[in-house]
Amino acid sequence: MTIGQRPGRPGRRAVLLSAGGLAAGAAAASAGWALTTSPAAAPDPASSTSPAPPADLAVIPPDDDLMREHGVLKRVLLCYREMTARIQAGGPLDARDLHDAALVIHDYIEGFHEGLEEGYVFPRLVKAGQLTSTVTTLLVQHARGRVITQFLLGQATARGVTSPGTRVRIAAAMQAFDRMYEPHEAREDTVVFPAFRQVVPARELADLGQHFADLEHQQFGTDEFAAMVARVAGIEQNLGIYDLAQFTPQVSQYTPPT
Amino acid sequence: MRQSRPANPGRHPVVPPRAGVALAAALILLACGCGRSPSSSAAAGPTAAGGKVTPGGTTVTIMARSLPGVGTVLVDSQGYALYVFAPDDHRAITCTGTCLGTWPPLMLPAGGRLAAGPGVKSMLLGSDPDPAGGRVVTYDGWPLYTYAGDVQPGQASGQDIDLNDGEWYVINPSGQPLIPAS
Repeated sequence: MTIGQRPGRPGRRAVLLSAGGLAAGAAAASAGWALTTSPAAAPDPASSTSPAPPADLAVIPPDDDLMREHGVLKRVLLCYREMTARIQAGGPLDARDLHDAALVIHDYIEGFHEGLEEGYVFPRLVKAGQLTSTVTTLLVQHARGRVITQFLLGQATARGVTSPGTRVRIAAAMQAFDRMYEPHEAREDTVVFPAFRQVVPARELADLGQHFADLEHQQFGTDEFAAMVARVAGIEQNLGIYDLAQFTPQVSQYTPPT
Repeated sequence: MRQSRPANPGRHPVVPPRAGVALAAALILLACGCGRSPSSSAAAGPTAAGGKVTPGGTTVTIMARSLPGVGTVLVDSQGYALYVFAPDDHRAITCTGTCLGTWPPLMLPAGGRLAAGPGVKSMLLGSDPDPAGGRVVTYDGWPLYTYAGDVQPGQASGQDIDLNDGEWYVINPSGQPLIPAS
């Protein structure tokens, strides 16, 4: 079967876009990423006069979708950073927060997002002879990350987070994970995904966007992205790092004297 | 709904030294019609070859090799470790969707045959239908997969990893998954 909009069921991305992402939908359309009911009906990507599709038929491009998932990863990295700081300060750590954070990584990032990269993004780059060394490094990092996550899940117990020796190992593991994935995702967002976009024809990108949505739907059900964001927000709230305003610096010391 | 396979014609194509080999295998599949039709899935992409297929497309050889940290286990003809997925339970392929991107199954091309290398029991070799199309090589009933994280032959970085809703293990020539003692 062809990968397109299923009759009678708007894609997840379509729902998201119709819920308020009109600007994003228009941007996607102008870039040639629009997806209609069949690939054959997609507007000519080369035509600058192609009308924007109805918002409820627009699809998030696969690279944009992957970067959005990186946003979830980044927020867990920030949770890890906060938990590491607490351990290093000798403060308490709730095993449930550690477990929940590692489980988001395990299920959503390692069990889904990275599968998309490994199955659809990296092979296209290698086939095109682009970023082959980078891709190899990214694959190794995925594998190392999975080992760290497995360790964290195993240690996320009431006993683990109170044992001094284990706390040190947990903190070191989270630090190593953060240190690896911060440049990892930044490199993917700024180099790997743009290169992927260049080697994949626009129409195929659109099809992939819908296919990614279908895979996500199969694996996690409806509104899975919002649900995943909510899970991470809950961990942030438990850790006291949810309120964005707390990170806004005072800048009086940086302003010139009058 | 039929599960779609990633564009990856196997985990191996993402590994630069092997990219040419895998691409050649993909082209062979397209030429002979062994792989999935490109039109069957947008995600199948131009390679549309599904899992890892031995170059040449006619014989898939399973070898035994001693790998650091795990001992003698099954590998493909190029020395890449082969894994089993616990939920498959000797019976059927349950790794679908994005799981296939991380764990490309070892495919048996249409009309292809299986061969046992030294130390491998030919009577344990077989194949199962893949929900995404084609057939996957099995050993003692276990569908065999490769791992995206093994970027060189001789690695077994996927051993004892819990991912995609189950545990992954290398398997020895007797057909036993190497499950670490807890």
